[in-house]
Amino acid sequence: MKPAAARVLGAAGSAGLLILALGAALSVRAQSPAESDVAKLEAALTAAPNDLKAGNDYRMAVIASAHGDKNTAKYDHAIAVFEKLVAENPNMSNLHLNHGFAIVDKIPAAGTITQVILANSALGSFTKSIELKPTWIAYYTRGNSYLFWPRIFMRTKYGIADLEEAMKMQKADQKRSYHVRTYVSLGDGYWKMDDLAKATATWKEGLEQFPDSPALKDRLAKQGDDLQKLIDDSYDPSKRVDTSLQDLWANQ
Amino acid sequence: MGKPIIAGAAAVFALVSLTLGAADPPGIKFEDLAAKAGIRVRHHTRQFKGATGDVLHMFTSGGAAASAGDYDNDGFDDLFVTNSDEGTESHLYHNNGNLTFTDVTAKAGVGGGNDPKSIVADALWFDYDNDGWRDLMLIRFGTPVLYHNEKNGTFKDVSSTSGLNRFANTIAAMAFDYDNDGRLDVLFGNYFKPMNLLDLPDPHVLPNDLDNAINGGGVTLWHNLGNGKFEDVTDKAGFGKHTGWTLDVGHGDFDNDGDQDVYLACDYGTDRYFVNNGNGTFTDMTEKALGGFDTKKGMNVEVGDYDNDGRLDVYVTNITDEYMKECNMLWHNNGDGTFTDLSRETGTCETLWGWAAKFGDYDNDGLLDLFVVNGLRSAGPDNYIPVLVEMITRPGVDFTDVRNWPKIGTMTWSGYQKKKFYRNIDGHVFKEMSAAAGVDNDKDGRGLAVADFDNDGRLDFVQSNADQEPFLYHNITTGAGHWIELKLVGSKSNRDAIGARATLKTADRTILREVDGGNGYAGQSTARLHFGLGVQTAVQSIEIRWPSGAVQRLTAPIDRVTTVREAASTNSR
Repeated sequence: MKPAAARVLGAAGSAGLLILALGAALSVRAQSPAESDVAKLEAALTAAPNDLKAGNDYRMAVIASAHGDKNTAKYDHAIAVFEKLVAENPNMSNLHLNHGFAIVDKIPAAGTITQVILANSALGSFTKSIELKPTWIAYYTRGNSYLFWPRIFMRTKYGIADLEEAMKMQKADQKRSYHVRTYVSLGDGYWKMDDLAKATATWKEGLEQFPDSPALKDRLAKQGDDLQKLIDDSYDPSKRVDTSLQDLWANQ
Repeated sequence: MGKPIIAGAAAVFALVSLTLGAADPPGIKFEDLAAKAGIRVRHHTRQFKGATGDVLHMFTSGGAAASAGDYDNDGFDDLFVTNSDEGTESHLYHNNGNLTFTDVTAKAGVGGGNDPKSIVADALWFDYDNDGWRDLMLIRFGTPVLYHNEKNGTFKDVSSTSGLNRFANTIAAMAFDYDNDGRLDVLFGNYFKPMNLLDLPDPHVLPNDLDNAINGGGVTLWHNLGNGKFEDVTDKAGFGKHTGWTLDVGHGDFDNDGDQDVYLACDYGTDRYFVNNGNGTFTDMTEKALGGFDTKKGMNVEVGDYDNDGRLDVYVTNITDEYMKECNMLWHNNGDGTFTDLSRETGTCETLWGWAAKFGDYDNDGLLDLFVVNGLRSAGPDNYIPVLVEMITRPGVDFTDVRNWPKIGTMTWSGYQKKKFYRNIDGHVFKEMSAAAGVDNDKDGRGLAVADFDNDGRLDFVQSNADQEPFLYHNITTGAGHWIELKLVGSKSNRDAIGARATLKTADRTILREVDGGNGYAGQSTARLHFGLGVQTAVQSIEIRWPSGAVQRLTAPIDRVTTVREAASTNSR
C-alpha cells in the first residue's frame, strides 16, 4: 500500500538522470582533475559544442573538480559555459542535452527550492533537444526527469509518455545494454501512477530482455513499503545521479 | 574550573508529593484539557489590507505563542497566550493550581499590543530588574512592549523608558545574561528587514533567494543597563553582519566554558552558530561548527542533552514534505567545537512543515523525549504548491516583490499535518508515538510551552495554533519514574537563574539541565529544571553552576519541587 501522503518523492523534483551506471564512467570522478584539465575539456567543448562526448567529458570533469556538492561555483560556471554556447548555437540538439545535464549536475548541491528551479530549467533544455532531434536519449532523459517530480505536480504522466516513446525507439533498434533503463523507469512511472500491474509487466518484460539486471530483479522481488522505499530512494534528489553518457558510445 | 564551591544553602520546600511507581515501561499519554481549563480561546493571525494583503498574511501566519511563567510566585506556572490580529487581545491565564486557569488579562493590563502598526508575535517572561517578580515582554512586528510586574497582579507598561525603541519585525526573543553581569539581556530574532508591513513603502520585502536569502532582519541584541534601560549592542557584540531571516533564537553553554553561546534558526538559508568569547562579544563559528552553510528553512531552536553525555545538543526543525525534503537537524555536540547532524540516525528527521519542538522527559525515565508541532495552513481542498511553483520557476522572477507572489486564497499549504511525538528509547534512537500518546492532532501548530502545570512531576505542555484554539496537554502517563524539579533563584546571578546549569547524579546516570530564557519557536517553557529519575529513589549529588561562576552542591528529595537559592556570599569570576 502506498498512501499518497506517504509517497514522498523528494524535493521539488530533481531532473535527475541516469544513464550510465554500472561503473565504467566513475573512473573520471574518482580523481579530481587539475584546473588546467577542466579548462582543456572546456576548450574542446567550445570547439565542438554539439559533440555529445565532449560535453559529457567536460561535465564529468566539473563534477570531479567540485569535490562533492558544496562548491556550487564550479557548477554555475559550467552552466554559464553551456548557456553561452547555446546562445551561439541554438540549433544543436546534443548541446541542449548536455546543457540540461549540466543543470541537473548542480541539483544535489542546491537548496530544495533551487532544486525545483533547476529541475524545471533542465526540462526546458531537454525539450529543446527533442524538438531539434527526437532521439532515444533525449526522450529517455526527459521522461526519467519527470519521474523525479513529486506526484503533486502531476508530471508523471508526461514522463510515461516520453518513456513509452523511448521504448518504441529502442524496440525498433538493435538491443543495447542501456536499453534496460527504459524498462526500469517506465515501470517506475506506472508504479507512481498506481498501476502496479502495468509496472510489474514492464519490469518482467525487461527482465526477459536483460536477465541480469539488478534494478529489475530488485523491483520484482519487493512489495508494498519495501518497493516504495526502493523507488523513493531511486528518485531522491539529494543523491547525486550519475549523468555520464559514456555508456552510449561504449555500447555502439 | 577552579570556581568556589558553596555547599548546602538550599531552601527546600515541597509543593506536592506524588510518588510514582516506575517498574514497568511507562505508556506516555496526554489528555487535552484546554476547554476544561478555560484556555480554549482561538488565535487570530493578522489580516492585511490592499492588493498584497493576501500574500503578506500568508507570510506572517504566525504569532500564536504560548509562554509559561509563574508571575505571582505562588508556585504554579501561569500562562500567557498571544493573539495577533488588529484589536485582538492576548491572554494572561492565572494557574489556579487545579488544572484550571482564570483569565486575568483585564486586571493585569497586558492584553494589548495589536495596534494598527504592530503585530504581537511572541511573549517572554523574565525578571529584567531582578526584583524577584517576572516581568513580561511582548515581541512584535514593531517595537516590543515591556510590562513591569507590579507584584500585585497588575503590570505597568514601561516600554517608553526602556530604550527598546528600535523597530524590527521581531518573531522570536530570548532573555539571557550574555556577559554574566547578573542582568538579563535580550536577543531578538527578526524575520523581515525593518520595514513596516502594515504600511508597506516598498513591495520588495520578501526573500531575495529562497535557499540563501540575505535580506532578512537578522538579530538585535540589547544589553540590560540595570536601570530599567536597555542598550542596542548588536554590532558591538558581533551580530551586526547577520542579515538572515531569523525565525528562532536559542542559547546554551555549548562549549562548557561558563558563558552562553547562541544558535540562530533561519528561514530561507543558513542557520548560524555564535560562540561567546567571554568578553561581551561573539564569533560566528557556523562553518567550522556545523560543517558549512545550510540552505534549509530553519524554524526552531531547542537545546538539551538528549544523550546524557554532558554536552548540550540542538534540535532544529526544517521542512520535509511531499514537495521538499530537507530533514530536520539534531546537532549532536561532539565536544570539540563541532556538531554532527544525527537526525536521520535518531529517527527525528521528518516532521513535515515543522515549527516548535521541545525536549522534555515526559515519562521521567532520565532521557529527553521530543514533541514537534507542524502544519502551515489547513484550508480548502486546493493545494497552493503547484501554483507557487509556477511562479518560482518563472525565468527572471523577482522573489522580493510581494506583487509577484500568487494569492493563496482558500488554498491549503502543508496543512492537516499530524504532530510528532518522539520517545527517547536509549539516548540514541527515538520512536515516534504521537497517536499512542494522544497528541497526534492536525492543527496548524506553532508554539509550545512545556511546564508541570499541576506540580505532579509529569511535564505537561500547551500547543498554540495559528488561527485555531490551543491545546493543553495534561500528562497522564502511568508508570512514570521518580522526579525532581528545581526552581533556581539567583542572587549574584540574574534572579531567574537563566544560564544556570544543574548536573544531577544518580546511581545509574548523570543528567544535565540548563535554565533557558525562551528557547523554542513561539513559546517559553517553565524556568524550573525537571529531572526524571526512573526507578532511582535517591540522588547522589546535584551540582549547580550559576552564571556568576559560583558552584553549589546539594542534595534534594525526590518527587518534590525544590527551590535552590544562590548563596549570597558567592565568589564569582
